[in-house]
Amino acid sequence: MDGQPSGSGEIRLVDVTKTFGDMDAVKSIDLVIPHGSYCCLVGPSGCGKTTILRMIAGHETPTSGEIHIGEQMVVGLKPVQRGTAMMFQSYALFPHLSVLDNVAFYLKMRDVAKDERRRRAREMLERVQLDHLALRMPAMLSGGQQQRVALARALITNPRVLLLDEPLSALDEFLRLRMRGELKSLQAELGITFVHVTHTQPEAIALADMVVVMDHGRIDQADTARHIFSRPATPYVARFMGGQNVLSGTVTDTSGGVLVITDASGPTYAASASGPMPGAGTAMSFVVRRDRIALTKGATAAPGERNAVNGRVIATEYQGTYVKVTLDVASREAFVANIADDIYFAEPLKVGDEVTARWATADVHILERADTGAAIDPYAEDAA
Amino acid sequence: MSLPSQGRRPWTFYVLSVMFTLFVLFLYGPMFIMFILSFQGPTGGLVFPMRGFSLTWFDALFGQARTGDVGGAFSRSLPLALMVMVLTVLISVTAGFAFRRRFVGSGFLFYTAVASLIVPGLVLSIGILVTARFLGIPARWWFTGLGAHLSWTLPFGLLIMFAILGRLSPSYEEAAYDMGATRWQTVRHVVIPIVFPGMIAVALFGFTLSYDEFPRSWLTVGSLNTLPIEIWTMTTNVTSPALYALGTVTSAISFVAIGLAIGSIAYIQHRRSKRT
Repeated sequence: MDGQPSGSGEIRLVDVTKTFGDMDAVKSIDLVIPHGSYCCLVGPSGCGKTTILRMIAGHETPTSGEIHIGEQMVVGLKPVQRGTAMMFQSYALFPHLSVLDNVAFYLKMRDVAKDERRRRAREMLERVQLDHLALRMPAMLSGGQQQRVALARALITNPRVLLLDEPLSALDEFLRLRMRGELKSLQAELGITFVHVTHTQPEAIALADMVVVMDHGRIDQADTARHIFSRPATPYVARFMGGQNVLSGTVTDTSGGVLVITDASGPTYAASASGPMPGAGTAMSFVVRRDRIALTKGATAAPGERNAVNGRVIATEYQGTYVKVTLDVASREAFVANIADDIYFAEPLKVGDEVTARWATADVHILERADTGAAIDPYAEDAA
Repeated sequence: MSLPSQGRRPWTFYVLSVMFTLFVLFLYGPMFIMFILSFQGPTGGLVFPMRGFSLTWFDALFGQARTGDVGGAFSRSLPLALMVMVLTVLISVTAGFAFRRRFVGSGFLFYTAVASLIVPGLVLSIGILVTARFLGIPARWWFTGLGAHLSWTLPFGLLIMFAILGRLSPSYEEAAYDMGATRWQTVRHVVIPIVFPGMIAVALFGFTLSYDEFPRSWLTVGSLNTLPIEIWTMTTNVTSPALYALGTVTSAISFVAIGLAIGSIAYIQHRRSKRT
């Protein structure tokens, strides 16, 4: 039998490409996932995130490139030799085997004696608090219980990397939040690398030490959850993760460490620049967080005033702790301000009201890449 | 899930109920009349009224040579049906798996297999006989007859396997691979147990289609008859209720086969859902 690999669960993808027919699912990706981290791959359907997961798992072979786990080059190895275990989207529990036999399956395949494998499977079930259901059939379990069985079945292989393919998508909202918490604490307890594929941004932000945002087979940004959310690199990441307004213009002044950006339709913006100053005339995009916007009634932005935009309210949505106010600001994209509930209800707005949105220069974050006019709604793209 | 209730049943419900009742009577009525008449008294005839009840005609069936070689025909039909059953399961299951991935000529192969459902059985029977003659092979129930029956059962078996394997998620096999199972272990411990109820359905089709096949048997079984041909021969020269007794016995065997198959499927599913 092949020896159980141990050691580091660091995953390195080097120039990995995967082609299906004439379509590139993943295009020359480089990525390092540190040992013992919780990594979320996030992106719309068809972006290649599941393909990456399956290549790490050994269920797909890269067309070119290398995948390393720890010290090992794993392309061509079987999952068990890689020290990976995968939890499938629909859990793929064997319907003809009891919970106990599902968990013991790995041991049975390695000819572990019956008593021994049942004992170890029971221990694993105790760990996920399901030992009382050991003799049930999978069809008799709730979604959350099935998920725990799948988890126990994967963990009994003693993996150094656990791969989770949209593990929470089959659960209802309440259970999803609970299992999310359990996954996070399990990862902290085991200290192994978790790679979790999801298309839900809040899930990625809540769980991950490292978020990898993907689009069309490429990685747009790989960073900590906090940076992905508050300092997105590209307009796509900003829009996909949400919570940001993306604005664009051309640089008109760079004196005094302040970058002045003018939109062709009128407004001028200011940002404190970091790094090398771009020359005048450069197209630039930047983001302002929705919760850093202040609104005042009436179209009061003076011509030339920086970081002030006139707009008309087109929708308001109560969200409990804040109110989401959507404005039409005569650009191709709606502008959103999330106003704290106490501030909003001190002076409520209604649809059609003229307002001015203002924000501080310090809250402006310049993007690495200017908006190319690509799809504004990441979900509206051709989901292949 | 329940359908929305719309109060009183519409008149169409009663019309359709009557039609359905008539349909069921038409379907099973003649069979039940045959069952009843097979218990005709010793002096009774082929039609009502019943002149007492007896098992005389069942006795005549197995006792006297006059009623034809029922025992011999049965001793050929049963093994033939069992052989067809086993071969149909083996070939349909393996072919079903082969068709899961596209291969060169898979479409053509599928259509040629299914086309034999459309070819009239008697024509096929003649074709097989002529071919066998040409090749110098004598027609035998266990050779040419077997082939003719397989041409009838395999397309059914294949279509059933398509339906079953279409619902078999590849993630089961991937999960097994993920947990270190070899190809053979995956087939043995995961795939076969999951598709087993479907394999029983294929076996049932293989058995019953062969057991009562007439047109494809007619010219291909050679000089020794199978049961359907023997019964057909008997209708021309036996004029006693022994004919009905034979019908009752063969129907009973078919029902036992179906009962066993459905019972075992139900047992497996019960075990899967209710084991606590």
